[in-house]
Amino acid sequence: MNVFIVETDKTGLQKFYKEIIGKFETYAPVEKFGKYDYKKVSKLDECDPDSPIEMTMSVKPLFFPKTAKVMKFREDNTGTTVSETDEDPLTGQRVILGVKHCDARGLQVLDQVYKWDYIDTDYQKRRENTLIISTRCDKAGTQCFCTSLDYDVENSDAHDIRIVNGLDGKIYIQAVTQKGEGFVKENLSQQSAVGSQQSLEEIKKHYQLFEASFRLKMNYSEVNAKLQKLFDSLEFETVSSNCISCNTCAFICPTCHCFKITDEKIKDTGVRYKSYDSCNNGYFTLMAGGHNPRPVKYRRWRQRALHKFVYYKERFGMNLCVGCGHCAISCPVNISIFDVVNQVAKI
Amino acid sequence: METEVKEAQGKIISAENPDITAPADWQPVIMGILCNWCSYAGSDLTGTSRIQYPPNIRIIRVPCSSRVDPWFIIKSLQTTADGVLISGCHPGDCHYISGNYYARRRFLVTKKLLNFVGYHENRIQFSWVSAAEGPKFAKVVAKVTEDIKKLGPLHRYKKENF
Amino acid sequence: MDYSKQIQEIASKLFAENKIDYFVGYKQNSFDDSQVPFLITDPAEIPKLVFTDRSVFNLANYLKPDHTKRKRVGLVVKGCDSRALNLMLTESQVKRENVYIIGICCEGVLNEKGEKAQNCVECVMPDPVVYDEMIGTPTGKREYKVNVDIRELATKALEERADYFESIFENCIRCNACRHSCPLCYCAKCCLDQETSTLYHGANTSSGAMHALMTWSLHLAGRCVDCRNCEKACPSHLPLHLLHKQNESVIYENFQQHLAGMEKDDRGAFYKYSLSDPDDFIL
Repeated sequence: MNVFIVETDKTGLQKFYKEIIGKFETYAPVEKFGKYDYKKVSKLDECDPDSPIEMTMSVKPLFFPKTAKVMKFREDNTGTTVSETDEDPLTGQRVILGVKHCDARGLQVLDQVYKWDYIDTDYQKRRENTLIISTRCDKAGTQCFCTSLDYDVENSDAHDIRIVNGLDGKIYIQAVTQKGEGFVKENLSQQSAVGSQQSLEEIKKHYQLFEASFRLKMNYSEVNAKLQKLFDSLEFETVSSNCISCNTCAFICPTCHCFKITDEKIKDTGVRYKSYDSCNNGYFTLMAGGHNPRPVKYRRWRQRALHKFVYYKERFGMNLCVGCGHCAISCPVNISIFDVVNQVAKI
Repeated sequence: METEVKEAQGKIISAENPDITAPADWQPVIMGILCNWCSYAGSDLTGTSRIQYPPNIRIIRVPCSSRVDPWFIIKSLQTTADGVLISGCHPGDCHYISGNYYARRRFLVTKKLLNFVGYHENRIQFSWVSAAEGPKFAKVVAKVTEDIKKLGPLHRYKKENF
Repeated sequence: MDYSKQIQEIASKLFAENKIDYFVGYKQNSFDDSQVPFLITDPAEIPKLVFTDRSVFNLANYLKPDHTKRKRVGLVVKGCDSRALNLMLTESQVKRENVYIIGICCEGVLNEKGEKAQNCVECVMPDPVVYDEMIGTPTGKREYKVNVDIRELATKALEERADYFESIFENCIRCNACRHSCPLCYCAKCCLDQETSTLYHGANTSSGAMHALMTWSLHLAGRCVDCRNCEKACPSHLPLHLLHKQNESVIYENFQQHLAGMEKDDRGAFYKYSLSDPDDFIL
């Protein structure tokens, strides 16, 4: 782990942000209809990168967009011709400000599936060209449980640069990766005192306070071990009883990666789109011929819970759920995946 | 809203939004959804009576004006059409006795809602044309075409560029 | 407005008399003062039932076949919820003998900020219109007022309105939570779900969102009871009520002051007609 730390204050940080926004294509949380979303910004006062706030969506759409054109096609007398879409494959450097560490971890988890049997080049390109600057939360939200999972929040390298609001009033800009270090050295014009062991301690202190503010805590290894044997548990029926089978949880989840393919056609030309889909949708597993292996909602919930907490871990060694609590916040009936797995595992 | 045709430097400037311009020879595309029993027969009569009407209208035949789901209108406006004309039998003349009475209610609400979200009210037009009213059909189409020409091409809510 | 005790009593009575298989009410969240829908089959869980001015969700949604298929259900409804339920009964989605309705004379519920919700301020019918048992004192029907947001938007210019709505459709993520949370969207196969159809475009684009939301609101026109379940469910917090309230105001003005679900066997505004309906917009 890299220990390149720069100490600064509020104005210094603002200056750093302004410089970034001036130089690069920058995305940051922007308010819309009372909730925040990562949008392209051209001025610092448009966005609010300081405190990671309640978001509508995670940072996922910037890498795996809610709709992407896959290809174009055209029909004429000679047959059908297929061509590349005119969407640019993203070459310039992007910077995202104010990312939450859980969202950043979500990308690390997504990486596993995107470089698995099929390598999604668009996704890889977006990942390579993006620098992630995260702001450490000062306090946990009511639905957060990131510290209880299988990754180390304190020493996470999912983001390139981390910004911590120290308890001593200073702001610490810590480069976590090589890429991040180079970026800070290059773009932070006014370097006030390169941090030492002391600042590392200060960051740790901040983390301890943050960790103590969690409402939800679970024993991850126990939950994981128990869930592996609970495929036939009847408890899934109870926990999913008030689910209304909307797709919100999957759409806003930082790690859900299911998609559907649809064609849109006007006259002879058309576009093939790839957009989000959700396993909570009753039609998700409907096959041609009419068979549906998951026709009732408790089976769909079982798939969702076990995929998040068991199957992905088995296959890729990472838990698919990152504990951000987005789903519970956005759920119309407040079902939290935390409650579901704990109730099923009876812990 | 002003609906005069403004022609400047050989261009049509939309009465809806002055930023939108079109070449002077621009021709609108109008989606015509006609009921099988009256308006479609009426449009047929227009043709057989050799009455001229603008060729901008593209006609689709439906069994009854109440067959028209609001999404037909939305879909047309989102793809190629610059305006929509829906036509059915006069009240009381419906082949299915009361279809057009139901349709009339839906049309009013649809028109008001589309206007509410930002379509000019002249882009969505309705008419009653009976099978004997060939000249009326020609007049209606001419009026609708004229109105939409003044509004210029539709850019709002169009499907993403193909 | 705290009717928790009365509801618990009625629920235990219903379970004791074996009149119901399910009871649908509200439960307090453990971490804040919001509430969630609560489906129980076990009388031991009755003490968890609550009802206060935080009971916002429309429970008629749980009568859709997905949830309580052909079961006898005890249900708590507020004024607006009972109108939705009334429509479901009229449209033969629910059998009257299968539901035991506890109607509540509602005094208005609170929104996220703790203020009285907008639809409660403008409520036309706070009392249940269909019930087996009524709790509270009925206050009667109120005068219909056109929604404030609609009035405000109507004064704006066309282009300005269009820009505003465009930003709404852009922020839609097409999760369809609005549809799933609506008690009156009960179709076995929704027309917006036919993703492979060329008639309907299923991609998650903003024009697709516009098409879907507009079609959805027009299919609910004359049936929407303004419970705002859709708006509460929306993860992007879009003001979806604008579309519904606009339709409602047009219908109220032009079609004999029709309001959905107010009377028994009264179907939506588009299921009937009058010879004197306005005709002046037709060429």
